[in-house]
Amino acid sequence: MGFSSSDITVLLLVLTPLAGGILVTLARRKSLAELITISSASLVLVQVFLILSEVAVKKTLTAFGNSFYIDSFSAVILLPISLVGFVSVLYSKNYMGRQYDMGLVDDRHIVRYYQGLNAFLLSMLVVPITNNMGVMWVTVEATTLVSVLLIMLYFKENAIEAAWKYLIIATVGLSFALVGTVFFYYASINSGATGDAMDWTGMVQNSKSFNPALVMIAFVFIVVGYGTKAGLAPMHTWLPDAHSEAPTPVSALLSGVLLNCALYGIIRFRIVTSGAIGKSFPDELLVILAVVSIGIAAASIYFQKDMKRMLAYSSVEHMGLVSLGIGFGGLVGIYGAVLQIINHAIAKPLMFFASGTISQRYETKAMSKVRGIIKVMPVTGALFLIGGFALVGMPPFNIFLSEFLVLSAGFQGGQFVAVSIVIVFLAVTFAAFLRHLIGMVFGNPAAGMEREEMGRLAIIPMAILGLLVILFGFYIPGQLQALIHDTSVIINGGGFA
Amino acid sequence: MEQIQAGLMEISGAVLLIATFGVIARRGFTDWLDAYRLQSVVLAGVAAITAYVTGIWEIYIAAILTLGIKSIAIPKVLAHVTGRLGMEYKTETNPYLSLRASIMVSALLVALAYFLVQQLPFRTDTVAGIYLPVSLAQFFLGLLALVNRRTALSQVVGLLVIENGLFLFTLSLTHGVSLIIEMGIFADILVGIVISSILLFRMSRTFDSLDVGNLENLRDD
Repeated sequence: MGFSSSDITVLLLVLTPLAGGILVTLARRKSLAELITISSASLVLVQVFLILSEVAVKKTLTAFGNSFYIDSFSAVILLPISLVGFVSVLYSKNYMGRQYDMGLVDDRHIVRYYQGLNAFLLSMLVVPITNNMGVMWVTVEATTLVSVLLIMLYFKENAIEAAWKYLIIATVGLSFALVGTVFFYYASINSGATGDAMDWTGMVQNSKSFNPALVMIAFVFIVVGYGTKAGLAPMHTWLPDAHSEAPTPVSALLSGVLLNCALYGIIRFRIVTSGAIGKSFPDELLVILAVVSIGIAAASIYFQKDMKRMLAYSSVEHMGLVSLGIGFGGLVGIYGAVLQIINHAIAKPLMFFASGTISQRYETKAMSKVRGIIKVMPVTGALFLIGGFALVGMPPFNIFLSEFLVLSAGFQGGQFVAVSIVIVFLAVTFAAFLRHLIGMVFGNPAAGMEREEMGRLAIIPMAILGLLVILFGFYIPGQLQALIHDTSVIINGGGFA
Repeated sequence: MEQIQAGLMEISGAVLLIATFGVIARRGFTDWLDAYRLQSVVLAGVAAITAYVTGIWEIYIAAILTLGIKSIAIPKVLAHVTGRLGMEYKTETNPYLSLRASIMVSALLVALAYFLVQQLPFRTDTVAGIYLPVSLAQFFLGLLALVNRRTALSQVVGLLVIENGLFLFTLSLTHGVSLIIEMGIFADILVGIVISSILLFRMSRTFDSLDVGNLENLRDD
């Protein structure tokens, strides 16, 4: 039995973090564990770039028969996973190293942490490349379990609380997604599917003969299920706890990447659903959830006192914006939504890294106690400011562009009510977020705080992301544009570019 | 033969429902575990019958896994953890709803399950006719068990009951999903239970109780 070249591509991609995890387990030493994980994450990044360039030419890759299916949409999700994975691992060395020096964690914790990071990367990488919606469910549930382990690393009171809520709420939520998946599977069997009726490609091809009533209910279950995991309100309640109590690099991964993986599941099923019953029902549902999410995020950010919780709510807002773009539909709206997925994955980790560094330096996460970052840590402060401006959608930074596309798609689609409500919420978020941000960055630091950065390895990951935030504000590389365009066509046009 | 099969299915469906009510109505964690174990054994039997009727060999494996993991491994893990926590966790706090109200709500939920199955365009053979409403009822009652008590243990049991409902649901609607997914789901459950056991243990050490009322530190204000 021979392997085709794309079989090997997929196999290597999955085996790299797996091997990383095993090697970390064998190494049992802090310095080795760091080295191994940095290597595995950079190898994953390189492989994803190779896959991306291949997808750009061939449009789709299939491996192991039809078990794995990589199209432009998968590639658009793979990119943030590998990029944020890489910078998070890089940032971990400094961040966890400091925790280690302060005596908060010992060697056993560090080994467990790097095992977890590798496993987390592995489980997330499988989500966008599998063709089988059942396997996708299993891996999304696996991401929950791995990330719960990462959150409860320290066994502090708050971490236990956050981990428990996350475990229970996400698992219950995902059980709804499983019911939805089985409904789709059932519809697929009844429509006379050949091959594995659980395959996404098969579902899309047969979607016209699916039972409409069944598909409608199934999609509601999917949205509730994966929506819980994606942090769409009102199922978002676990999110601020988990994102704020996790170790900072894990927060970046949870927020920047994992939410996207869950939304990916919803969007894949939205394509099947629109093939069966048309776009209006799934899109209305998504728009309603999006408006609620953006509203709740605005209110929570307004009253927020904790830095990382504020960022977590900003993730709720951004996931809402992605759903909004998909819901408004049309090529423009979907293009904006896909761009928003990427922009969010760049800007949010930057902010989490900066806030992690800041809270280590100031020894607090309370925003009222953080003053004058720019005087204490000029580079971190500047990056924090840039990232913050980007998050609220201020031009000329990257998120402005995607938000603008999403909102203009709403106007074009005649959804004036939804757009006006969202604009009010965005304005509230804008003002409240900037008030918090400017309060922290400027002003006078407490007496006795020396001017000192937190080490080069803390700055480099932030600088990489910061440059991308600025760059993507006015220039998106042609290949990436083509990829996003193909993805929008896939989502808008019923499955295939 | 047909009649014996149908009779067996009806009885097993009834036992499953009764065991689910046991989780709602009984007071202690060990009682819940007993109910869950009974439910899982019956579920394994149901899977074996379905495998026999449909002739799909993969379902036999699912039946064996159900027996091994859900009726032996998981109760053992949970009993072990709570055993280490000491006696005081075995007696449980009262539910939010009184016992009588809980039973009433449960009965309504079961009725809702039967109603929903009639409304949906599902298959109408004997297997689906008997087990689909039971599986939905398990799902709903699991949710009720999850929110109805203040202890973390009942949340775990609630999750397990929900999961049993899902298993029965897939089994009766689509004769299970393919084996690899089934195995993945089992692996997820087992790992999930191990993780929640660790958390339960840590929770009792840190807060000195398993009352989820302790888990209210993280707020926005």
